[in-house]
Amino acid sequence: MDQLVDQFFDFGIMFDPDNFDKVMAGFWFTIKLAIIAGILSLLWGLVLAVLRQTPGKLGRIIRWPVIAYIDVFRGIPALLVILIVSTALGALSQPDLETGAGALLPRWIGVPDWFGQPAPFWYGVIAITITYGAYMAEVYRAGIEAVPSGQMEAARSLGMSHRQAMRQVIVPQAVRKVIPPLLNDFIALMKDTTLVSFIGLIEVVQAGYDIASETFSSSALTLGALLFVLVTIPLARLVDWMIARQQARYERGIA
Amino acid sequence: MRAGDGPGGLAPTEALATDGDGAFLRLEGVRKSFADLVVLDGVDLAIRRGEVVCVLGPSGSGKSTLLRCVNLLSPPDSGRIVLEGEEITGRGEAGIDFVRQRVGMVFQQFNLFPLKTALENVTLAPRAVLGRDEGECRRRGEELLDRVGMSDKVAEYPDRLSGGQQQRVAIARALAMDPHVMLFDEVTSALDPELVKEVLDVMRELADEGMTMLVVTHEIGFAREAADRVIFMDGGVIVEEGPPAQVIDAPRHERTKAFLGLVLEH
Ligand SMILES: Nc1ncnc2c1ncn2[C@@H]1O[C@H](COP(=O)(O)OP(=O)(O)OP(=O)(O)O)[C@@H](O)[C@H]1O
Ligand SMILES: [Mg+2]
Repeated sequence: MDQLVDQFFDFGIMFDPDNFDKVMAGFWFTIKLAIIAGILSLLWGLVLAVLRQTPGKLGRIIRWPVIAYIDVFRGIPALLVILIVSTALGALSQPDLETGAGALLPRWIGVPDWFGQPAPFWYGVIAITITYGAYMAEVYRAGIEAVPSGQMEAARSLGMSHRQAMRQVIVPQAVRKVIPPLLNDFIALMKDTTLVSFIGLIEVVQAGYDIASETFSSSALTLGALLFVLVTIPLARLVDWMIARQQARYERGIA
Repeated sequence: MRAGDGPGGLAPTEALATDGDGAFLRLEGVRKSFADLVVLDGVDLAIRRGEVVCVLGPSGSGKSTLLRCVNLLSPPDSGRIVLEGEEITGRGEAGIDFVRQRVGMVFQQFNLFPLKTALENVTLAPRAVLGRDEGECRRRGEELLDRVGMSDKVAEYPDRLSGGQQQRVAIARALAMDPHVMLFDEVTSALDPELVKEVLDVMRELADEGMTMLVVTHEIGFAREAADRVIFMDGGVIVEEGPPAQVIDAPRHERTKAFLGLVLEH
């Protein structure tokens, strides 16, 4: 029993100031990454979902590439996207030494250090936005399709364009319907931000793992897990509460 | 209000064009199919300015589709539609813009925008489409809501209104675009019986004020007293048309008789 406690809950290791600071610093990266990538994914997903609804025959020119994008990036592991983004951006911003040709991308894009955050941080933001934008686009789509078709017809019959109707009538209703599933996606996104440890960012998992390798105790990893749960469980409760409230409204015939 | 007044306080309608035969809205050989199903099989119809035309017919006869063709919500496969002397079919977006700014529509299910108040429902399109300023839209919106007897509910959301109230707001919303023609698609069919009258009263008033109206309805009483002309549709064609006294009270066609027999029983 003591052995198990030492393995997972060795408070001496967890709350050793050095260790604790290291894990907290890692978690802070995780939080920043999740918030920035989360907001960008929410916006990008909405753009994709709205483009996917472009009407008419000509709209196919927009619809089909968007559908292809969504299908592809929902089908690729986030880790692969992270690795592809980091290697590609890094390589494309190097001049070609053999031919002497200049770099395709300027260095400030290929190796970004915006707002004082390291390049792997931004590779993570870009890759996770690419991936989760696709997931969230599907969630928004479900919301858009759940808005009764009479809403679009009423708006169009009043002379509004498809764009105006989407913006003023359809999207506000769709977004309200899908806030709970979007939050669920955000929880998944937050967990996937830990994958940037693969490209050298010392976020919470990597920090815990480094300490675990030195101490032969999992306690620093447990600390990371506790920090996650501290954020994700309240979010999950919030989702449940919102769904229950929506259900109640629906049963009263309001939603 | 005098019969010569324009609808909704519009400028007098003298200037509005009609075509050679004095028709305001004309349909010629309008056809529409959904996959293999022929829903409109060549409909010809000419409506004069200020005329109130009621459309009767069994379920599935193509009445809603006819209205949706007129404002191009569901464009016809072939045939021509001419409004105020201008053809609107086959002109793409230009035809759509032309007809939608002149033809208002009210639906069976109201289709009010649920996240907007009654007043916002009425002012949204004039602001977004016509770019009118907020104060002007608001004043005009309140005036229209007052006309349909909803002046005490301007700030209510649709889910707090009865069906009849919602439908009256929907009528005000359509009128806010200053339409020259109004389409009504079974606007009282989703209402509890005691709420039907308040909506029909608003429509009757609109008719008295000279609005051109194309009304799909099962309210035979309304058709008899408010319509200038009644049309009976079945199987995607106009089977019989004429003044209400003729079509409703002395139908000539067997199918009309059978349909009215069923409806008037109740
Ligand atoms: N978008 C559509 N796609 C496929 N079929 C359709 C569509 N709209 C209408 N229909 C079909 O066309 C036929 C006529 O429909 P329509 O709604 O015009 O009839 P209606 O006379 O208005 O009937 P009701 O009195 O029931 O409203 C029906 O068989 C209907 O199923
Ligand atoms: Mg119908």
